[in-house]
Amino acid sequence: MLETYLPMLFIFVIALTIGAVMFFGGQLIGPKNPTPEKMMPFECGNDSQGTAGVRLNVKFYLTAILFVVFDIEVVFIYPWAALFKSLGWTGFATMLAFIAALLIALAYCWKKGALEWES
Amino acid sequence: MTFDVVYGLSPLLVVALGALLLMLAEAFGKPNPQGLAPTGEVSDAGAGRAGELGMGAAVVLFVGAALSLGVWLAGPDNLVGLELTRPYLIWDRFTVFVCFTLCLGGGLSCLLAGGYLTEHEIDRAEFFPLVLFSTVGAMALAAAGELLTLFVALETMSLGVYALVGLRRTPRSSEAALKYFLLGSFAAALMLFGAALLYGATGRTDLAGIGQAIAAIGQGEGPGAAQVLIALVLVVVGLAFKVSAVPFHMWTPDAYEGAPTPATSYMAVAVKTAAFAVMVRVLLIAFGDERLTSWASGWPPVLATLAVASMTVANLVAGRQSSVKRMLAYSSIAHAGYALVAVVATIRSPAAEGSILFYLLTYTVSTAGAFGALILCGSRGKEAVSYEDLAGIAKRHPAAAMAFSLFLLSLAGVPPTAGFFGKLYVFQAAIDAELYVLTVVGLLNSLVGAYYYLRVIVFMYMREPAPGATLAVPMRSGYVASALVIAAVLVIALGVLPNVTLEWAAIATVGRS
Amino acid sequence: MPLTSVLLLSMALFCIGVFGVLSRRNAIGILLGVELMANAVNINLVAFSRFQGGVVGQVFAVFAIALTVAEVVVGLALVILLYRSRKDVRVDEANALSG
Repeated sequence: MLETYLPMLFIFVIALTIGAVMFFGGQLIGPKNPTPEKMMPFECGNDSQGTAGVRLNVKFYLTAILFVVFDIEVVFIYPWAALFKSLGWTGFATMLAFIAALLIALAYCWKKGALEWES
Repeated sequence: MTFDVVYGLSPLLVVALGALLLMLAEAFGKPNPQGLAPTGEVSDAGAGRAGELGMGAAVVLFVGAALSLGVWLAGPDNLVGLELTRPYLIWDRFTVFVCFTLCLGGGLSCLLAGGYLTEHEIDRAEFFPLVLFSTVGAMALAAAGELLTLFVALETMSLGVYALVGLRRTPRSSEAALKYFLLGSFAAALMLFGAALLYGATGRTDLAGIGQAIAAIGQGEGPGAAQVLIALVLVVVGLAFKVSAVPFHMWTPDAYEGAPTPATSYMAVAVKTAAFAVMVRVLLIAFGDERLTSWASGWPPVLATLAVASMTVANLVAGRQSSVKRMLAYSSIAHAGYALVAVVATIRSPAAEGSILFYLLTYTVSTAGAFGALILCGSRGKEAVSYEDLAGIAKRHPAAAMAFSLFLLSLAGVPPTAGFFGKLYVFQAAIDAELYVLTVVGLLNSLVGAYYYLRVIVFMYMREPAPGATLAVPMRSGYVASALVIAAVLVIALGVLPNVTLEWAAIATVGRS
Repeated sequence: MPLTSVLLLSMALFCIGVFGVLSRRNAIGILLGVELMANAVNINLVAFSRFQGGVVGQVFAVFAIALTVAEVVVGLALVILLYRSRKDVRVDEANALSG
């Protein structure tokens, strides 16, 4: 049974070797010319500010929660889209009902002010 | 065909549509400036309209109950089109009976909330859509004949209830909700693992198919049989958690106490009823194999242990509580124990399924009534919490005291109330099934239980409030009063004329092979 | 890849999840444990579906994913609720109800 995993072991070893060679090779033979700007942590080209463990406003979580809950509904829409033709009008009506329920939920969130950033 | 389906499922559909409409009505209606809470941080459209929205929700649920009655009279077996929903939803007499009980319990809780939320100025009219969605889940759970449907229904029911518990926005309330949620999702995950193992061992997800496949696996000692046993344990743990049987009851007193009282009433009646319904169906259909229902190698001894532990522990601890709400929480654990006795009795007595349904109905009206009476006995800032708060309330508000006494006597099982016949038929079924030890333990526990119910009555009628103590002032609310009247009429009617309902319960079986 | 190894993987994941639930004191940590348990179940379902034929297991897994997400959303909302009222999410500190 273990022979099945032999190729995976090879891949691990090769990947580790390549990574190690590039990392240590760069350190060993690369030119070293440090300037203060080069020593700064890289953050998408901007100068980084503050510490990494910053506390986020709780509003982010609320928005994230709403995003996740509407986002995951797509798992039901994908299979339907893949089988759109064969499911026919029954499938279409079912999906309409599903989306109508989602729309009602969205309208509710909106009206309740859950989508407002300033509150 | 279509008509059959729509008519048969009408209780479910009406409540689901009602929930969506109520959600919109809550968000888009005009706020009532008079009812706005002075401290309410959210002053949205639902604010101050708890009364009317509660009335709407109660009407929807009572219509659901009436439609269940209609479907019952038409006979679900005569509605041929309902075959279409199998095996996902099994819409038989068992389901319809449970649906009636669920709608009734939910409707009573909504009426209570209509009065309670207004009185205590809790600006949370989301209560009503949540109760309705949760009831939809509960009805689907009672009907579920397939593991996937079972889980969707279970989560629909539970998620609504988690939110209901945290509705009050006090640290106590949110803490209770979080604890309940964490334990509840843990139990659901265990049960989900059990379901996956069942699917792996049998290759089926419908309960009937699983039952047949387990019978085919038979006496074998192979991995299949072991998987089935592990799955059985996990599923039983999950369900025992939902019905709050000892030792899976830790969350119950906290959640019941932290939740607003109408939500407590809803949890105690609807969640428990639906969980027992699905427990009976899963155990008898999926785990109904001869080997698994035998006393030597199956679930009966496990459930019997849970039953004895629930009755004994809950009754002993309930007597030592100083909060009446907490006492009622332990009482609900004890009642889960009595109902578990009937579940065990299903292995040898065909009448046991009916006795469970009848018991759940009597338990629903008595418990909803008892929580309602507790709500009626207090008002804003002067809530009735401890026994002392209730001292002498019979003089100040004789009607509330009388109603409370009636429901407590019914919970204690004193004739001629509904609770007496509920217990009587459960123990009769247990004797039919030759479970003498369980019956004796149950009877002894009923006697112990009477102590703490009667203690409340003693405080209400025979004690004077301590001088200088803050008195609980009964509230005035037509909603709460009407809920109590409905519950009281049913408690007396089921106690005086149990026969019709009992005959109905007797023919509502899950149809095991 | 044989079925047993997949089952071992999912069993390990499940046990890590259970350990997390039982040992963590932070509400978010417990929630993560529950998530691990649910995902172990999903691996199980898909593996059974692959080795037994039929798609029921996969459909089950898709629904299970959606259900867990709904559960997490409610859980996180409750955590935020508790945080707003207490400024703390450690469940062992939350003891107003114990007893």
